[in-house]
Amino acid sequence: MNATHMNDAIVSNVPTARRHFLAQCGVGVGWMALAAHLQREVVAASPSNHAAANPLRPRQPHHQPTAKSIIFLCMAGGPSQLETFSHKPELAKLHDKAPPPSILEGRRFAFLKGNEKLLGPLRPFSQYGQSGAWVSDLLPHLQKQVDDMCIINSMQTDVFNHGPAKTFLNCGSSLMGRPSMGAWLTYGLGSEADDLPGFVVMLSGPRGPRNGAQLWSSGFLPTTYQGVAFRNSGSPVLNLETPPGIDPQQQAEFFSTVSQLNTLRQEAVGDPEISTRIAAYETAYRMQISAPELIDLSRESQATLDAYGATPSEPSFANNCLLARRLVEKGVRFVQLYHTNWDHHGGAENINTDLPLRCQQIDQPVAALLNDLKERGLLQDTIVVWGGEFGRTPLGEIRADTVGRDHHIDGYTMWLAGGGFRPGTVWGRTDELGMGVVENPVHVHDLHATLLHCMGIEHTQLTYRFQGRDFRLTDVHGRVVREILA
Amino acid sequence: MTPIRCWSALVILGILSVCQELLLAQGGTIDFNRDIRPILSQKCLKCHGFDGEVRQGGVRLDTREGAITPGDSGEAPIVPGDSAVGTLLARVTSRDPDHRMPPADTGPPLSDERIQRLRDWIDQGARWQKHWSFEQARQPQPAAVPQVDWLRNPIDVFLLEGMKKAEVEPSREADRHTLIRRLYLDLLGILPTPEDLQRAALDRAPDWYERLLDRLLANPHYGERMGRNWLDAARYADSSGYANDDPRSIWPYRDWVVRSLNADIPFDRFTIDQIAGDLLPQPTDDQIIATGFHRNTPHQYEGGSDPEQYRVDRVKNRVDTTGSVWLGLTLGCAQCHTHKYDPISHSEYYQFYAFFNADEEPEEWQAHSQDRAEIAQLQDRVAQLSAMLTTAQDGERESIQQEINMTTAALEKTKRGATRTLVLQMSDSPRATHIHQRGSFLSPGEAVSPAPLAALHPFHAPKNQLPNRLHLAQWLAASDNPLTARVMVNRMWQHFFGVGLVETENDFGSQGALPSHPELLDWLAVRFHQNGWSMKAMHRQIVMSAGYRQSSEFRADLLQKDPQNRLFARQSRHRVEAEVVRDIALAASGLLTPIMGGPGVFPPVPPNVMGTSSAGHKWPTSDGANRFRRAIYTTVYRAEIYPLLSTFDGPDRDNACTHRNRSNTPLQSLTLANDPAMFELSQGLGARIFAEGGANDADRVRTGFMLCLGRSPSDQERDVLIQHYGHQLHHYRQNATAAKVAMGPFFPPDASPPDAAACVALGRVLINLDNFVTRE
Repeated sequence: MNATHMNDAIVSNVPTARRHFLAQCGVGVGWMALAAHLQREVVAASPSNHAAANPLRPRQPHHQPTAKSIIFLCMAGGPSQLETFSHKPELAKLHDKAPPPSILEGRRFAFLKGNEKLLGPLRPFSQYGQSGAWVSDLLPHLQKQVDDMCIINSMQTDVFNHGPAKTFLNCGSSLMGRPSMGAWLTYGLGSEADDLPGFVVMLSGPRGPRNGAQLWSSGFLPTTYQGVAFRNSGSPVLNLETPPGIDPQQQAEFFSTVSQLNTLRQEAVGDPEISTRIAAYETAYRMQISAPELIDLSRESQATLDAYGATPSEPSFANNCLLARRLVEKGVRFVQLYHTNWDHHGGAENINTDLPLRCQQIDQPVAALLNDLKERGLLQDTIVVWGGEFGRTPLGEIRADTVGRDHHIDGYTMWLAGGGFRPGTVWGRTDELGMGVVENPVHVHDLHATLLHCMGIEHTQLTYRFQGRDFRLTDVHGRVVREILA
Repeated sequence: MTPIRCWSALVILGILSVCQELLLAQGGTIDFNRDIRPILSQKCLKCHGFDGEVRQGGVRLDTREGAITPGDSGEAPIVPGDSAVGTLLARVTSRDPDHRMPPADTGPPLSDERIQRLRDWIDQGARWQKHWSFEQARQPQPAAVPQVDWLRNPIDVFLLEGMKKAEVEPSREADRHTLIRRLYLDLLGILPTPEDLQRAALDRAPDWYERLLDRLLANPHYGERMGRNWLDAARYADSSGYANDDPRSIWPYRDWVVRSLNADIPFDRFTIDQIAGDLLPQPTDDQIIATGFHRNTPHQYEGGSDPEQYRVDRVKNRVDTTGSVWLGLTLGCAQCHTHKYDPISHSEYYQFYAFFNADEEPEEWQAHSQDRAEIAQLQDRVAQLSAMLTTAQDGERESIQQEINMTTAALEKTKRGATRTLVLQMSDSPRATHIHQRGSFLSPGEAVSPAPLAALHPFHAPKNQLPNRLHLAQWLAASDNPLTARVMVNRMWQHFFGVGLVETENDFGSQGALPSHPELLDWLAVRFHQNGWSMKAMHRQIVMSAGYRQSSEFRADLLQKDPQNRLFARQSRHRVEAEVVRDIALAASGLLTPIMGGPGVFPPVPPNVMGTSSAGHKWPTSDGANRFRRAIYTTVYRAEIYPLLSTFDGPDRDNACTHRNRSNTPLQSLTLANDPAMFELSQGLGARIFAEGGANDADRVRTGFMLCLGRSPSDQERDVLIQHYGHQLHHYRQNATAAKVAMGPFFPPDASPPDAAACVALGRVLINLDNFVTRE
């Protein structure tokens, strides 16, 4: 097969109308036509003859999925389960008492010395919804959503420092250099969105998350699959703005000229990789047109903005929740929101004053997101995940004359909603003091296995060979928790 | 629905099978390593291998002795010379699914072709060989092949032999302009200046190529280009990683690598200095700086961490890195259990680990001995004065205290002014090393002493002393080490051909790919020894070959016969690495400042990009000369890698990277098209086209094209560019304000803005061409 034949082969996959268009107008004029109509419809209606070369094209899952997208609300720092979803009346009774030594055996903590007293729950709890799930008074909006949620009170992880634990939650290992879940999913499934990255990350809160971009790394997978962190101001994706002194018409001419010259080079040397590059430039151009539109929240109704508590052009977790909905609507595979700081040890990180503030910042937007997804029929194939890299200890930690809670890895809370998870579920239980799991433990590896399962992927089969080993998100662990699936 | 597979594994298997077919097509008797070992390794060894703990039915198939010894059934798997008896063949051919091997749940039965191979091999006496890469490399004689006019050096004989067997012809030599650009990209990672280009292009001497090559090997940019590869393997970064990602000063190590490659330090010395420079007698500053290789590990400083847990992780990182960089072995697989495929036991992993378990990791180290001496002297003086103070009379106290204050101030000043770097040191009180059961440092098992891998060449343990890193380094660099030289020349080949002779460049074990040209690999490895471990000599040897000089154009016949190009019947055509993308744009723009070495610099980056992690890195964008330095000098913060570097597949710097991915993504397109730092270089290029390219459109197009691609445009290319230039000029003549914005700061004050802006637009297209970022 020579170069010309190869081009024929590619063109023969293109629908007739498009072929006609290409034949009649040539690639360059096609670009000019695009420039004349910068509407999304026109762009979308021009399937590229290089689309097959796109590494993010959608791929078939292993089995019928129950979800197409995931929105992972990552509460960076480790929110206290004991002030949110894990109701511990016995702990209240033993407040300020020394714990029975037996329950401390074999446990490792970051900062506790082992002589601390128990710290009773600091907030009142009540039961809500048909499911009767317990929620504290810090989450008045989410209280109303418990029948959509599947609350896991028996989460467990392996590491008790922020950086490694966040890496573990995202990548299934505390060591750096492994791909994150979003990277695995886009590697396995591609993305339905042809004008946006398949894996988008958004940040809010007082500072960035620990470990930064390592958390959405593609590790040893090709960088195509790494998370793209949207920026909070300017254009969301880096380099979407045309350089200064160049108008949209010229930008279209620029893309057209580059495409023509690349096509000439391909004819000369026959390298199919040039096709991939031409496709990448086409996607880049589409992204440049549609991404700014996507983040323009002023097009949302005032009612929607009010429901989320979002304000256009003022970056916030609420805005990011609304953007997350818009992204999954467009077919983005994995959206991850980080909101810092949930690290309430005491002192400057005060559990009595800062934790309520943090809850207030997320409560209404997350509830609005669940409602919005539901109303638009998106919740049935979107999974919303809420939680941090670990929970907090039932023991009090003294810092600067205040009491807070240390990192706790042996029993904490995360919840999921939509996308095949059984709604109105409370799963797993810790002991009466909240120290360890006594019923239905769910390890982070199990969470990963279950999320992949819902996305149609058998977690033991999605592997990548690196340094002589087939790596996978769940390492050699992971169990699909079928009991919490609908 | 089609299930997802592991694509990379499929690709590798595909390549393996292609190789195997090619090799089998060569005919001849059964070769154990080529024909039999892959079957045993892929299908049998997981349950019948080296690891006694998981071995099934008492059957062991990783050694000949095991295979002829009766298992639990009382029968031997193999009776050499007689395939009619023995359980191996009976089991793989059994029609009873419960009896047949491999078990149905582990995969399909063996193909008839593979079974026949096993049968022939047993009948031929079941000759066993060590795994190919564990055997000493011998120097094979290149076979006599015809078509001598193509041959330039012995490498070509091996290549041609492979091509002949597959009935494939080599490609023609690439055009001179392609060769010049290729040499610059491969050896220097930048583009030639117009003068250098002209000099090489117009050189009438028959040995013009060799003369150019020698100029390039002597050019100091060579060390930056080749050093970049080594720094990938060393996982070099300017911060600690993990949550804190504290900035660290270890750039003296980076500069040492560049200097050493330029000086062509022999690879055995290069090895010993990095693994154990500190343990050499009277080590030089450089030899101590070199031990920074193993201080490039990520380091966890987060509050509340268990220091031992993360120290252990760093030591394991050192073991795994040493394994993959020098030995091409996946030692990490033996962290939790005995290696399933290669002869590396669980306890051997921790013997290797013990070499690195005896170290201190000082946070403060002055790179230069005069600084260290001055500091020691001042510290002594402070101690002396403090002692005097305790016994001093009232009258003397004040003046002594004053001198203490002054000396302390001088001490602090010297410390601040000294160049610091990170180095390894032997601990005075070595730790005991125990096996970590299931890989957990919380479950120590039996105690072990330092020792390298028993399956390789002999280790000469010191008498009356525990072996240390120096002994390990000498073992790694020993001339009878079957792996180090092969692994290194393979990575050189990978650099110059896009892919190694062994495609799995970091796995020379039994799960890795077989070499496409085993004899060539061995010939190169032996040659490397004979050349006194000179890396430059090897680079020269490879680059002088006709194989290297071939065109990279795709050929219809090769797409059919050798789609993966494992015969090397054409050169590879591939995108250049992240750093080279920026460096060639810098070179084309004429803005490159060729200053070498020193602390990391901060090239321009859009706002709200850096400083988004908890580390909150500051990015004080460099001005002046430092703004336009080569990308090897860009500061690398692990938690916030400079976007251009990560977008174009720069590594994460956490583990050794011995081969970079080459993805091709929309974000890369956006970077080249719109990144302000890239656009700045288009503006520089535009100004250069304006200054050097004459006044008419065709001349400007030709000049820009030559600057960026080192060749003249085809007629069609020229016409497309002239048209583009014309449109832009027309546009800017009507939009003078936009022209002034677009032209940027690099034009002379009297330049006409529309002309200038049109030149910038032309430059921007050129920098965005596939051809520009591609090495052909």
